[in-house]
Amino acid sequence: MSDNAHKKTHDSKRILYLLGIILFVVMPWLPINGFYIFLAQTFFYTLIAVIGLNLLLGLSGQMSLGQAGFYALGAYGSALTALKLGWPIPLSIAFGTLLAALGGGLVGVFALRTRGLYLAMTTLAVGYVLDILAQRWIGLTGGAMGLSGVPQIEFGFPKLGPVFFFYFAGTALIVIQLLSDFIHDGRFGRNLRAIRESEVFAASVGIQVSRWKAGIFAFAAALAGMGGAFFAHQSGYVGSDAFTVRLSIALLIAAVVGGLGTKSGPFLGTLILLGIVEVIAGIDKYGLFIYGLILVTVLLAFPKGAAGVLDSLKNKIGLSRKDSAPLGEGLSPSKEQLSALALKSIATEGTSLCIEGISKSYSGLKAVDEVSIDVQPNTVHGLIGPNGAGKSTIINMIAGVYLPDTGRITLGGQDISSLGIADRAHLGLARTFQNLQLIEGVSVLDNVMLGVKHQQSYTKDFFDWLFKNSLEKNERQESMNILNFLGLGHLADRLPSELPYGHRKLLELARAIAQRPRILLLDEPIAGMNTQEAKEIAQVILKLRQLGITIVLVEHNMEFVMSVCDKLSVLNFGRLIAHGTPNEIQNNPTVIEAYLGTGVKK
Amino acid sequence: MQIGNIIQLLSGGLAMGAIYVLVALGLYITHLTTHRVNFGQGDFLMVGTFLMLLIRKAGAPLGVAIALTLLVLAIMGWLLERIAIRPLDRKKASPVGAFSWILTTAGIALILQNVIELGFGKTSQYSAPLFSSQRDQVVQVLGAGLFVEEILVIVAAIVIVAIFYTFMFHSRWGKNIQAVAFNPESAKLLGIHTDRVKTGVFVIAAILAAVAGILIGPLVTINPHMGLVLTIKALIVAAIGGFANPVGILVGGILFGVFESLSNYVDSGFGDLYPLLAALIIIAVKPSGLFSEGRADVR
Repeated sequence: MSDNAHKKTHDSKRILYLLGIILFVVMPWLPINGFYIFLAQTFFYTLIAVIGLNLLLGLSGQMSLGQAGFYALGAYGSALTALKLGWPIPLSIAFGTLLAALGGGLVGVFALRTRGLYLAMTTLAVGYVLDILAQRWIGLTGGAMGLSGVPQIEFGFPKLGPVFFFYFAGTALIVIQLLSDFIHDGRFGRNLRAIRESEVFAASVGIQVSRWKAGIFAFAAALAGMGGAFFAHQSGYVGSDAFTVRLSIALLIAAVVGGLGTKSGPFLGTLILLGIVEVIAGIDKYGLFIYGLILVTVLLAFPKGAAGVLDSLKNKIGLSRKDSAPLGEGLSPSKEQLSALALKSIATEGTSLCIEGISKSYSGLKAVDEVSIDVQPNTVHGLIGPNGAGKSTIINMIAGVYLPDTGRITLGGQDISSLGIADRAHLGLARTFQNLQLIEGVSVLDNVMLGVKHQQSYTKDFFDWLFKNSLEKNERQESMNILNFLGLGHLADRLPSELPYGHRKLLELARAIAQRPRILLLDEPIAGMNTQEAKEIAQVILKLRQLGITIVLVEHNMEFVMSVCDKLSVLNFGRLIAHGTPNEIQNNPTVIEAYLGTGVKK
Repeated sequence: MQIGNIIQLLSGGLAMGAIYVLVALGLYITHLTTHRVNFGQGDFLMVGTFLMLLIRKAGAPLGVAIALTLLVLAIMGWLLERIAIRPLDRKKASPVGAFSWILTTAGIALILQNVIELGFGKTSQYSAPLFSSQRDQVVQVLGAGLFVEEILVIVAAIVIVAIFYTFMFHSRWGKNIQAVAFNPESAKLLGIHTDRVKTGVFVIAAILAAVAGILIGPLVTINPHMGLVLTIKALIVAAIGGFANPVGILVGGILFGVFESLSNYVDSGFGDLYPLLAALIIIAVKPSGLFSEGRADVR
């Protein structure tokens, strides 16, 4: 693939980094006004908080209207330990960060159980409560009068204090920006984006959704807290006025204006935010108006923010990624070999799936009634039946989306009835969805990589990424092989939304194959496809069976079902009415009756 | 604490609870129909209060002031849906995802706060009582002196809640709203103008905020930033009812108001935080709300 092009853009980004770091090192020694140093400090710690919010909102799609609360936790945590307990500042800042992370973890409980509106509401409420505490718990926080004499970073040289602070906060920022880039580029970012797309989907590729959601929430809170902790030591004074909902909104504005879910968004957004703040300082009485207007305008007119605007400018002057080298078609003469390799790597020992007397009712309506199905290892097993027969409900019970009311499901002898979706995925269960599930914001290749098992530790990944300029090389190669196997190799760098429907379905299959499943659930694999595409899919399915994978599929197209399936189970009104080989089923009078209605004689 | 005290606290709590219920019902009806709420619902209320103050100061009679306030807020609700909510539905690929409306409605709220602040100043104000000439008309109930206004708010709130329920469950309009809430596509097929209904519910929500604003004016001091707290409390009250159960909202709102009144009495410093924290814990333990139909909100 276009590994070279990939490297090139990566390299030009490195140069930007290098320039930034050089500027950062020399800036305090340039003959500039001390005010700019102060501004740069503010920029550093605000950006740290915005990066956290961008990861939370931009990648995982969770809304927080209460970041000011975590910022306050960090600020007071650091200021009080340094002031009252005499802790050294790096330690106190670490403590403030940790405190905010703990607070975030606690609020993350809400994130686990609810989404969207509820999370926005609870974070707003928690931020408000923390704001009130800061204002009224005067014994601790000094209230609006504030804490003064908070220790500053000087190491015995008060004159150099601002420079020390500048380097300290700036270094922290560089580390965090690198971490954020790493998260965006690799597995972390993919997983978070999958969660944002749909939680059921994310879990079905083996992501432990609640852990990730709570984790990213706590991480974003920690970064807000770190921002606050630095703030506390900047001027030696911490007043409660700093932590109102206005700060939460300001951080959101920075994240949104910069461009959510992009690596450079927080940087651009914070720059713009500080610009706004400086402008507002002169006309403070219109401050809220300007904030509100910016929020509404950006969301309505430029939802991709400054990063998006820059990108489209780049496209216009011909610097876009897509123009760089038409994806290496000719570069891989060994494509066949590679896809053969891919097949070898997914070869597996098929497993049996046993469904014993499962039932499911939706508020009184029995969707599935005492159904038992025995799927032999290494076979293609079809579930058919008229609409509303309960096929999808059964697939969803096998995958763990719904828990059956009665009965049990075993996978290769192991009872999986009470396991979560992700745990079942880890046991070798992969699936596709009736209404396609892909991550729309990342490349085709990344979508396949979502399914590939992680092969080395994150630390190793990070250092490979940082020094060798290669991230998840093996996973990338493996995904590429699978794409080649399905004939999608030339589309690896495209976005899923640029693909026609048939290719999107294939892509979803590629991701499921990448999970190296022992059993594969396909929910209407050829719905919406033309005959040619359907034939290709049939061949892929048969090849997968050859490799040892057990396949369970739901499909309406009889010709397809009869040609690929070894065994069929027929459902009607939630009951199993027949099972057997395609031949037996075709001649089964009950089945004919169910499909064609009563009174029809054979 | 004497019995009179308790009655005073109860009536104060009931009055505030009734206000929360009115504001929360506005959130409920838009959430039911469009899965969106106005994060500036409390600020709409605030605008309503200040409008009443302005119009009555100008010398207009009470009826005119109320009518004008309701009208202006209705128009604001209409504009809000048209400007800050509906256009977002056409941008499916927005990076903020499905929740852009939270930020746009909050943005409008900030603008409203600023506008009112420019017009009336930052300081708190008193608005004139609705019926009595002064703020000190008191009736004696079981030895407790109760403000006429407070009783009036409770009565008015009960009447409006009753009207709301009749409207929702026994009128053709209400049935249309429920049809859209249940399934917008099939509602459309039945000949219901779903777009009009979606705008309509935001108009209704704004009117409910206006009513609450008119009623709350005489009970508290008002300032341009009073909206946020009311938004938070109304959201919480709606969440206690699972955002899906108007009876739950009624009970939840009243309980919240009374709890707040009592805890404020016990702890004047942090009393207002207790019911908030209690409600947050309830929502953490039971996200579907206290009075939901046992069905978790999976969105």
